[in-house]
Amino acid sequence: MASSSSNLISLKTSDGTVFKVERALAKTMKTVQAIIEEADANIYMIPIHNVFSHHMDMIIDYYKLSVAGKSKEFSVEKLDNDELKDFLLAVHYLNMEDLFEVLTQAVADRLEKKSVGYVRKYFGIENDFTPEEYAAIRKKNDWAFKGDDIEPEEDEEKQEE
Amino acid sequence: MEKKTTPYLPSELITEILLRLPVKYLIRFKTVCKSWFTLISNPNFANSNFQLAATQTRRVLSISAIPRQIRSIDFQALLNNHSASPNPNLSIPIPHFYLQIRGSCRGFIFLNCAIYNLIWNPSTGFCKKLPLSDVNYNFANTRYLYGFGYDQSKDDYLLVSLSYNDSRVGDHSSHLQIFSIRDNTWKQIEDPPSRYKSDYNFSKVGLFFNGAIHWFLYRRYSSVNVIVAFDLMERKLLEMLLPDAFIPYLADLDLWVFGEFLSLCAIRNGIVEIWVMREYKVHSSWTKTLVFPIGAVPYFSPIYSTKNGDIIGTIGGTGLVKYNGQGRLLGHCSYCEDPRGSQVIMYTESLLSLPDDNKQV
Repeated sequence: MASSSSNLISLKTSDGTVFKVERALAKTMKTVQAIIEEADANIYMIPIHNVFSHHMDMIIDYYKLSVAGKSKEFSVEKLDNDELKDFLLAVHYLNMEDLFEVLTQAVADRLEKKSVGYVRKYFGIENDFTPEEYAAIRKKNDWAFKGDDIEPEEDEEKQEE
Repeated sequence: MEKKTTPYLPSELITEILLRLPVKYLIRFKTVCKSWFTLISNPNFANSNFQLAATQTRRVLSISAIPRQIRSIDFQALLNNHSASPNPNLSIPIPHFYLQIRGSCRGFIFLNCAIYNLIWNPSTGFCKKLPLSDVNYNFANTRYLYGFGYDQSKDDYLLVSLSYNDSRVGDHSSHLQIFSIRDNTWKQIEDPPSRYKSDYNFSKVGLFFNGAIHWFLYRRYSSVNVIVAFDLMERKLLEMLLPDAFIPYLADLDLWVFGEFLSLCAIRNGIVEIWVMREYKVHSSWTKTLVFPIGAVPYFSPIYSTKNGDIIGTIGGTGLVKYNGQGRLLGHCSYCEDPRGSQVIMYTESLLSLPDDNKQV
């Protein structure tokens, strides 16, 4: 079996693992596809920066499920927040439309119902509102801060720094 | 794998994530930081968020008269017993006149408070006063029907007022007036050729569907029940007959959207009959879809169908009921203690703003 079989593409992850994937899967990665089209026909190995082998494992899982018409069964529940963000960055880099849609929705689902303080921590964002500015906006739309079993904002504000 | 710092997401990724959030949380997260405030307040962001159908959340607006109470109800959560979901009281910065609901479209509600009309987005709090039409209100027998919709071809919202004289003698023409948000003025539309009238149990608020506003009316003199549709792009009125096999006699009639179709809901002697127009404007496509007993439930009016085909309706503006696609009662709940009930209308949450508009009340 020749190593340059035209049905398989070799992808090398950041941690040095080589994955041989079907051309059809490589096609879902627009970044990889662009590299293939630009390079000569006999490209040997494509390095994919920012993508680790554990990302490729999940990408291959998703691909197998979608080929079988079961993409809804794909779940990222077991990933913690940082792992999910990391995976999203990898899929974003590879420019994979469907999986990107799945992951951005997964992050959105995790943010739903959370407090403002939680969201700031999640993205590492600093609050640049003065307490007065915050209070004014909050007062105008108070209903949006209620419910969801949290009494968030006051406590979160006190806990930060 | 130890990580000291959390992975940093670039702003285009953050935008993609935020676009997929429901409106309530977008409003909450405006306070995360100033750049998020700017992003979420941007009309382009609002448009993209609205287009993502998956995030569109619908609520019921309930207005009770005395004392005036305006509530926004997460009806799906209420019916699923998710009591943690709040149904907040909202306020509008206008005096305590009697408020009348006249339509809802893309997150905006068309209200009237006697001396002026209002467009209000309950999610953003945006509120704009609009003039009343100059149809003469002094005729004691003048009756009005209303509608509110969106003209996609012009990115414009239209208020519609259909009026007629209910007395036995005199001019029985129907008059149609529209108010375009962009033109900021009321305009008379050529009188429709037929003379129409309504009935006490027909809704005064038209149904906006497929770019047109629909009302149940009688064609006078022939006493034929029809659905009249005013197309907002063509600015023309057209008639649709009820199904041939359907007998409207003594039935309470309602128009609503069942799935993707225009639907007629008729209740007579405690039995609900649901017809669906499988091909819009095609008379032969009327299909009787469901018949089920409703018993003594008063003033049932369907408002929404879920993805599984369940039917949710209001009862007299005091509560909600849910039936499955075979007509079996799945649940009910009440949200209004006032036995006189309340005016209700379903609306979609949106961050949209009116075209070319920064002025508020």
